[in-house]
This record gives sequence, structure tokens and C-alpha cells, in this order.
Amino acid sequence: MGFAPVNIHYHLPIDLRVGGSKFFFFFFPLFALSIFFHSSALRPFLSSPPFSDYSFFESSGIHRHTPRLSICRLRAPIIKGRANELNKMREIVTIQVGDFANFIGSHFWNFQDELLGLAEDDGADPIFKNNFMDMDVLYRTGLTHQGAYTYCPRLISIGSQGSLGTLSSSGSLYGDSSSSDATDTLTWKGAVTKLAENPREKNLFLKSLSEEGEDDPNIEDKDRVQCLERDIKFWSDFSKVHFHSKSLYELNGAWTDFQNFDNFGDGKEVLLGGLHMEELNDRLRFFVEECDHVQGIQCTVDDSGGFSAVASEFLENIADDYTNIPVLLYSVRDTFSYTDATKQRKLITRSLHDAVSLSKLSTYSSLIVPVGLPSLGGLAPSLCVRDEKNFHSSAVYASAIHSISAPFRFKPAGPISNTTYAAGSLDIGEIIHILAGQNRQNMVAILDVSMPAPSLSDKANPGGILNSFHALGTEIGDDSEDLYMDESLILNGALFSGADWASVSQVKDSICNVYDKGLRVKPRPSHLSISLTPLPIPLPFPSIFPTTTGRRGEILADQPLEGPPKGSLEVESVPVMTRLRSSIAIKPFIECRYNNLLRHGMLRGAKGAGLLRDWGFGKDEVDDMGEHLSKMLRIFNPSSEMTSDSD
Amino acid sequence: MSIRVLNPNAEVLNKSAALHMTINAAKGLQDVLKSNLGPKGTIKMLVGGAGDIKLTKDGNTLLKEMQIQNPTAIMIARTAVAQDDSSGDGTTSTVLFIGELMKQSERCIDEGTHPRFLVDGFEIAKRATLEFLEKFKTPVVIGDTPDKEILKMVARTTLRTKLYEVLADQLTDIIVNAVLCIRKPEEAIDLFMVEIMHMRHKFDVDTRLVEGLVLDHGSRHPDMKRRAENCYILTCNVSLEYDKSEINAGFFYSNAEQREKMVAAERRQVDQRVMKIIELKEKVCSGTDKNFVVINQKGIDPPSLDLLARAGIIALRRAKRRNMERLVLACGGEAVNSVDDLTEDCLGWAGLVYEHVLGEEKYTFVEQVKNPLSCTILIKGPNDHTIAQIKDAVRDGLRSVKNTIEDEAVVLGAGAFEVAARKHLLDNVKRTAKGRAQLGVEAFADALLVIPKTLAENSGLDTQDVIVSLQNEHDQGTVAGLNHHTGDPIDPQMEGIFDNYSVKRQIINSGPVIASQLLLVDEVIRAGRNMRKPA
Repeated sequence: MGFAPVNIHYHLPIDLRVGGSKFFFFFFPLFALSIFFHSSALRPFLSSPPFSDYSFFESSGIHRHTPRLSICRLRAPIIKGRANELNKMREIVTIQVGDFANFIGSHFWNFQDELLGLAEDDGADPIFKNNFMDMDVLYRTGLTHQGAYTYCPRLISIGSQGSLGTLSSSGSLYGDSSSSDATDTLTWKGAVTKLAENPREKNLFLKSLSEEGEDDPNIEDKDRVQCLERDIKFWSDFSKVHFHSKSLYELNGAWTDFQNFDNFGDGKEVLLGGLHMEELNDRLRFFVEECDHVQGIQCTVDDSGGFSAVASEFLENIADDYTNIPVLLYSVRDTFSYTDATKQRKLITRSLHDAVSLSKLSTYSSLIVPVGLPSLGGLAPSLCVRDEKNFHSSAVYASAIHSISAPFRFKPAGPISNTTYAAGSLDIGEIIHILAGQNRQNMVAILDVSMPAPSLSDKANPGGILNSFHALGTEIGDDSEDLYMDESLILNGALFSGADWASVSQVKDSICNVYDKGLRVKPRPSHLSISLTPLPIPLPFPSIFPTTTGRRGEILADQPLEGPPKGSLEVESVPVMTRLRSSIAIKPFIECRYNNLLRHGMLRGAKGAGLLRDWGFGKDEVDDMGEHLSKMLRIFNPSSEMTSDSD
Repeated sequence: MSIRVLNPNAEVLNKSAALHMTINAAKGLQDVLKSNLGPKGTIKMLVGGAGDIKLTKDGNTLLKEMQIQNPTAIMIARTAVAQDDSSGDGTTSTVLFIGELMKQSERCIDEGTHPRFLVDGFEIAKRATLEFLEKFKTPVVIGDTPDKEILKMVARTTLRTKLYEVLADQLTDIIVNAVLCIRKPEEAIDLFMVEIMHMRHKFDVDTRLVEGLVLDHGSRHPDMKRRAENCYILTCNVSLEYDKSEINAGFFYSNAEQREKMVAAERRQVDQRVMKIIELKEKVCSGTDKNFVVINQKGIDPPSLDLLARAGIIALRRAKRRNMERLVLACGGEAVNSVDDLTEDCLGWAGLVYEHVLGEEKYTFVEQVKNPLSCTILIKGPNDHTIAQIKDAVRDGLRSVKNTIEDEAVVLGAGAFEVAARKHLLDNVKRTAKGRAQLGVEAFADALLVIPKTLAENSGLDTQDVIVSLQNEHDQGTVAGLNHHTGDPIDPQMEGIFDNYSVKRQIINSGPVIASQLLLVDEVIRAGRNMRKPA
């Protein structure tokens, strides 16, 4: 087997300046290529490559304008000899819970679909060609009863009843022989009453994916893009992906008002007296059973309402059944969930919900990343997002989540592809370990994004590109003085200057430069992942780019500042840079939730105590939640950390 | 009026308007579910906006699918669904009964009776009816070997209201045998020990009972046998995969060699676990024609699968948690959490294990087991909605058999109980009530007739003729039910039409409670709908 260099953590002390008592580590665990950071010298070294025992057939994907056919892609199932466990594929199962989570997911899978399509397209830029990304990490190969191969996301999506729009809950690939002809009923010979809802009409974009609108020469892509900007009701309205028949689950709580499904109690109620969990566990088992070695579960939860209760129940089951599988959780919210509550009761409900939700979700996940701003106006001028459109905001969040997921699926192949196209492979367990397992055991991370990321050689910005980040969460404090910060940086398709993509070494040099010259505070434990593939912009991506954006997401100097925003027809790809950091800046976020739980739910005569009882929490359980939150807070307090160490 | 001061936007309905609103809602719900009742009811096909189909004749399923907004209707629906949750059937009957109670009350109230008197009368009538039910029920001796015939009759009565006769009769035997299979003396019946599995098949509608288990997954190695006879079954919950996260926790390496060693050590541990299983296999199987099957709740990674395959072992990973229990009940042996100290006693036994592949779905059949205490009902259907409907019917059937065994009693069906109870209320109970509460007793008694009336109506018979002839039979002292083919009175005992005692009991219990609550509503206030998301 030889030297197996995947994910080696080299720890080299490089800075002994502060006080002499603290050591700072700066390490880049990269497979097949590790960087020693010593003084200011940068010494990459290469090692012999491991070879995978798996072989892959040619894959065929789909491209953005072609109608979707069933996609055929095979993975050789036969294992010859003993597989090298270090190099084998490590699957991710994705879970989306709640309608906004599905909006984000819809964009996320569109990106993946676009990448698959571009890799097959001879006309596409060669940067999309190379196969250093292993899509099998997120996708699975399947077979229908009719013998056709399918290639679908390894996904479970939970939404409210009716949230699928024109999409059938059993997907379109595994079509069964069902007919809505009432006379075909096989189980009843008596009378049959048929009650049919009006069929929902597909929009121009969806029509172009199926055969219906294909031949119409009068409809151009421009019309399709416009129709998406005008009217999006369901996440499926802009989805171009085929889903597996077990992927989409509609939660049909008996007479639950999903318009007002806004607190933890509602969610718990929906799950009562049904076989929802049974069914969900079965579906998850279906996807996990076929995995050889799951690296983790990536879960997006709309935690602004009852769905966080659904998710926490599901995650609790997962924690029981699959003890060692790490869960990376994004708790997301749309801008509407921040609308000011006018009534006190509403205010208390909401703040208690937030506290309970954080406490419960963090109990059953390994790392939790709050995502969601009351307004995305702060991202201007690099993006112009309309806050009132979930279609817009979800696209930004999905881009960031896509960027983070890139290093999870770098293919462990030869060293050449690594140095050329990508570096810094990570798996979910490792990113969680970097952020939540080291200095502090803080498991709430902050997500920052820079999109489109400025070019590396941007002279106008002496602080380096690292100053272009915007946090995607709320209630974030200052961490410039935080000595225990951990971070993980991920760059997708960075531009060097103008519209030229940077090479891996250029990216590395620039980032190191920022730290070296002291332009950015000080070196701290950090991990860098680089993928040369930028974020592809699929047709159903919203028009949120300013007029100065070029085809590759570069800034065009000679463009007028005013004008309609650009969209997928003008911009083909953008560079995206994301950072996950675990720092003291998250303290206000947790503190606020803890204090609310204390004030409204736990103190004597608290106004929300009855509410918590209505949600089915006994006093002990509330105390446990309070204790859990206070423990999450205590880690930021060095003095109590000392005492907990001595325990 | 005070509410207007507090919230000028509030909408207030006064006493009589409020009452009529609730009564109308109850009647409306009754109308929707009416056609469901009985073996001549109408099945409903629901087609969603995206073409998804649902097929149901079950009041419970139908209620859950409906977008009910009226608060009264929601209250009734919740009661009816709770009925189903606790006793497995009777949703439609509950809704009909509540609706009819409201209808009868409306007549009295229009004539000037105060709802209070009706409510008092309901209470008297309810208690009397429950007492009557105790006398009326047919006791069933369960003992060690229950009377299969009576169980079949109960199951058939339920199933024939959900599925057409041929299918229902086929399922009847399966369901009774399934419950008797998992029944342990002196213990409550856990219906979860009956696995319900389905397969999609082109044209077939077929159901069969597998004495043993059907698992919805197969082995994950190409060299493992697809069919094996005389198998030892090892049921375990042991991780047979190399787990990097354990290494990650806190260890760091100063060089790659060290790391390599750690990885190898971890791998070795997994291999050792696998080797222990193989050792046991060699011990019990070598020199015989016996086979060895491992069914693991945790994962098994490719290297481990490879080792097992080479040793001729069939291995399945990620089994359902509940199947751990079922497997032990079906095959014997025990579920082990560690491979240390494995002995032959841990192993179960199955005469036949084989795999069935349908597209990407794999099924593993574990059959020919000794003394099974767990079994599988395997449903085949051409499409998802047919399968779902049969599954619902199977669940209801299982519940009815379980109820019978636990109640040790059944109640004559086909409307016989309702007619008899009405007669009892009018003849014996009514006069014991004071004053106008008598009206309540009378309304209650008349409301009971909604069941035979609806059965007749759904069969296309003349409701009044049927009721009159049934009442005549009862007046002469014979207990009679309705023959839904001819409309003539029949003896339900002879025809084998029996309902569950506990279901009936609960309908009589919960119906008047809800009706009374609704009758006493004298003001409806609609204020401040949620302002957050404007529709």
C-alpha cells in the first residue's frame, strides 16, 4: 500500500511570539501535498500517490439547456482484492428539512447538476472538465424496474404538504404504472369517487425541461429567466434535477396550518400519532445501507418554525441508529422570519422557539452553522439581492454551502490533478474536528462568504481578499482579539486578475501573503482548501449580479454602474470564497438564546413557562435545555474552562 | 360585547348563529364521510395537483387528507382520528354519530329546548348505553388456543369494508394467522412484530404471509450466495467498518509512519471482529452442508464483506432496528452486541435464506424457521397507491384481531347493536330521566340509528323500510342486522358479522362528549389571525 498521505495533520509550531506561553499552530492538512509553514518560507512537498481500487465508467451528465433524460452513470460494483480503505469513496447523505431549506437545496442541486452537465459538454471551459471532484459522494447510481440506470442525489427532503408544486413526490424517474383512471381500481369493485385537484401548471422553465415546451421557437431563455424572476412559489419551480422516488417526503400533519407553522410545539404535534418517523428512518436506511463508508450527513434545516422540531426528532433517531456518523447542520432562515413581532406573546413565542431550537438541534448534531440574515442588503455592491424573494436569498446561501461541500469530494487521485486543480481535501468529520474539536469545543460556527470573490491581485484592497467576507448569520460579535479562533477557508475558482483563473499555487501564495505581511491579524489554526472550479451559474439562477459583473464573475471597469442586474444569461460562473470560523464572535448569539430561555421559560413566574409546557416539555427537560445552552456558553469563559478542566 | 372593545376587528357570532355554525360543520363533515361506511360504500380516489394519487376508503385517511378549516369540524375530526389511533377503526362511525347527535339536537333546539337539557340527557343515555353494551356483547373465550373462526369473522367484517370481497377474504386468514403467530401467552400483543413489507409488481395484486422475515436489503458482495439452505443466523449489532472518527478524536501524528500504524491497528481491530465471526462459522458449519448468515444492524465495509464472502458467509448490513428483535423472535438465538464469547447458542436458524431482486430493490427472505414468533405480511401491488391502500387495510385488520383477543368479546354488527340499544333507551331509560332531559335521551337514541340508516343508504335501499323492519324484529325479541344485499333483516351471528367491542365502546364514549361541548358553545369569536405571512 505504501505511504498513504490522505489527510495528514502536521502540527508545526510556527509562532512563539505571544507571551511565550501560548503556541500557535498553523497547519494545512492537504492530501498528497502538505505545506510546511516555517518562518515565512513556503515549502510544498509531494509524496507518492495512492491509487484507487475503484474504476469508473464514463459518465454522462446533462447540460443546462438540454432536456433531461434519465442519466446513466455506473460505478463498478465489484471489489477486486481488498480495497484500500483510505482511498475509497466516502459518501455523504444530504437531508433538507423545511421549505426554505428546500429552496436552498434546490439551488444546491442545480449547481451539482450543472457541474455534471458541463463536465460532459465539449463546448464548456476545460476548467469544468477535469474529474477531480467525485460526484458519487453526493449522488447515487440506481436502476429502475424497467432496467434504466438513474443518477440521483442521495437526499431526503422533508417539506410541508403541497410544497412540491408541480413535482410528484415519487419523482419522475421511477414512474409506476399508476393511472388516475377510476375504473382501474383493483382493490374495490364498488363505486369510486374521484376527487381531483386542478393540475398545477408548469412555468416556462419547467416546460422547457420536459418535452412540452421544447419545440416552441418563440420562447427564448430570456423569457424563461424572466418568468422565474416574476413568479416563484415552490422550490420545485426552478429545480432542474431528477430526484429519487424515496427522496421527497411531504409531511401531512392532519390539519396543520403550514402558513403558521412557526414554533417548536407545532412541529412536535405534527409528528404525534403518525408513522412519519418510521417512514423517514426507513428512507434514510435505504440510502445509508448502500453506502460503503458514509463520511457524514449534511443537513439543512429551516429552523424558524416547526420544522426544527421535526429535524431534531429525526436527528435524534439518526444519532441513535448511526452513532459514529458526524452531522454537519446548517440552520437556515428566510428574511421573513425576522419580521418584527408586534405582540409580546408573539415575541416570547419566538424567542423561546429560538432557544429551544438551538438547544435541541445542537444536541443531535456535531457542528451547527446558523445561516440567514434579516436583509441581504449588506452584500451590496457585489450582489444585489431582493430581500422579499426567497428565490434570491436562498441562491446566495446555497452558493456558500456548495463551496463548503467542495473539499468533501475531491477525488484522491494522482498528485498532478491535486496540484493542478484542487488542494486541501477534507471530509465532514475533519472539518468538524478542526472547528469544534480543538482549542475550544465550540460547536456553533459562523459562515462567511465572499461572492463573487475579488481577484487575488486586487491592488486596491491591501487587506487582501480576506477582508471581503460577509457573515451570513446574525448576532455576531467581534473576534479580532480571539486567540482561540479556528477557521477553515475554501476558495472555489478564484480569479488572479481580470478574468484569468488563478492556479492553486497562486491562491496559496496570496493567502499566505496576507497572513505573512500581518495584513490580517495573526496566524491561527487554519485550514485552506482550494478548488479551481468556480461556481457554475445554471439557467435558473436569479439575476442578482450587478452590471459590473463579467462572464466569469470578474469586475468590469468600463460598465455603467446603473442598470438591471445581471443573471445566468450574462454570467457563466463566479468565484466564491467561504470561511467557516469557530470563535468568540458567536457568543452573543448563544447568550441571547440562553438569556431568553432563562427569562421567559425558567425563572419563577416566567411568562413563557406555560408555553413550554404546551409544547410538551416538562420542567426537567427545560432545565436540561438551559444547562445545555449554558455549557455552550461556558467554553467562551476561560476561567470556568479551567474549572471544567479539573473535573 | 366586551370583545369589541378589546379588539374592534374581532368577528362575533351570537348564540343561535354560533350554534348553527357548529351544527352545520358537523353535518357537513358527516356528509363527506357518509358514503364511506360499510361494505357497499364508495372508495375515494384523490388526485393531487402534481398527479399524485391516493386511494382510500378509510375515514381516518380521508379526514387527514382533507383541508379542514372550520374549527368545529377540526374538533370532530381530531376526536375521530384519536379514535382510530387508540382502537384502530371507527373513524367514520364517530363522525357520523357526532353529526347525527347534532342534527337531532338541532330539531329540539329549534323547538325551544335549551341545549343544557339535551346535554344532561346525553349523559344519562351514554351511561345507559355503555351498561347495555356490557350485556349485549358476545363474550369470546380466548385461552391458549383462541377460536380462529370468530377471529376470522371479526377480521373479515373489517376488511370487507376496505377491500373487495375476494381480496378481503384472502387477507382474513393471513391476518389471523399473523396475529396468532406473534401472540405470546400472558403478554400484550405487539403488532410491530408483524412486519408489513411491500413489492411493486406489474399486474399482480397478491398478499402472502411469510413465516419468518422479509428484509428490504440484500448482501453487498458479488461473491456471496443468493440462496442458501440450512442456515445459522447471527443477529448482531457490531460495527464491522473501519471508523476513522475514532482515530480523529484527539490523536495526532508526528509523522506519516505513525499514522499508518494507527490506521493499521484500527483496521486490525475490525478484522479481528470479523475473524471471530468466521471462527464461529467454521466451528458450527465445517464438514456439514450448513450455511451461515450474518445480519448486522451496523455497517460492514467492503474489506470486511470481502473476508466474510471468502469464508462463505452471507452478510447483510444496516438492518432495521426493529428487525433485530423480529429476527430473534422468528429464528431464535439472541441479538449480540459484541463478538466476544460467541457461542452456538447465540445463533438462530432458518431452513431457507434467499434473495429477490427487483430493479435496485433487493429483498432477503428468511424462511422455514422453527416456532416463529414473528412473521411478515408481504403485499404485492402494481402501484404505490394500491399498495398503500392494502397496507392500511392490513393494519386495520390486525388491530381488529388484536382488539378481539384483548377485549375477549365482540359485538354483533350490521346495525344490530344500534337498533337494540335504541329500543333499550326508549323502553327502559327514557322514563328514568327527569323532565326535559328525556328529550336528550330520545335524541341520543335516534342518533344511534345513523349507522344502520347509512348502511342501507349506501346499499341503495329504502332507509325507512329497512329501519321499520329491523325495529319490528327487535320488538319481537330477535336481534337482527341489515342484509346489505336485500335489505332484509338477518341474524349477524349466523352471517358472522362482528364488530370490535372496544371500538363500539369508544364511539359511544367520545361521541356525546364532543357533541355536548359543541352544543354548549354560545359565542364564536374570530379575532386576529396570524399577521406574519400575508397569504
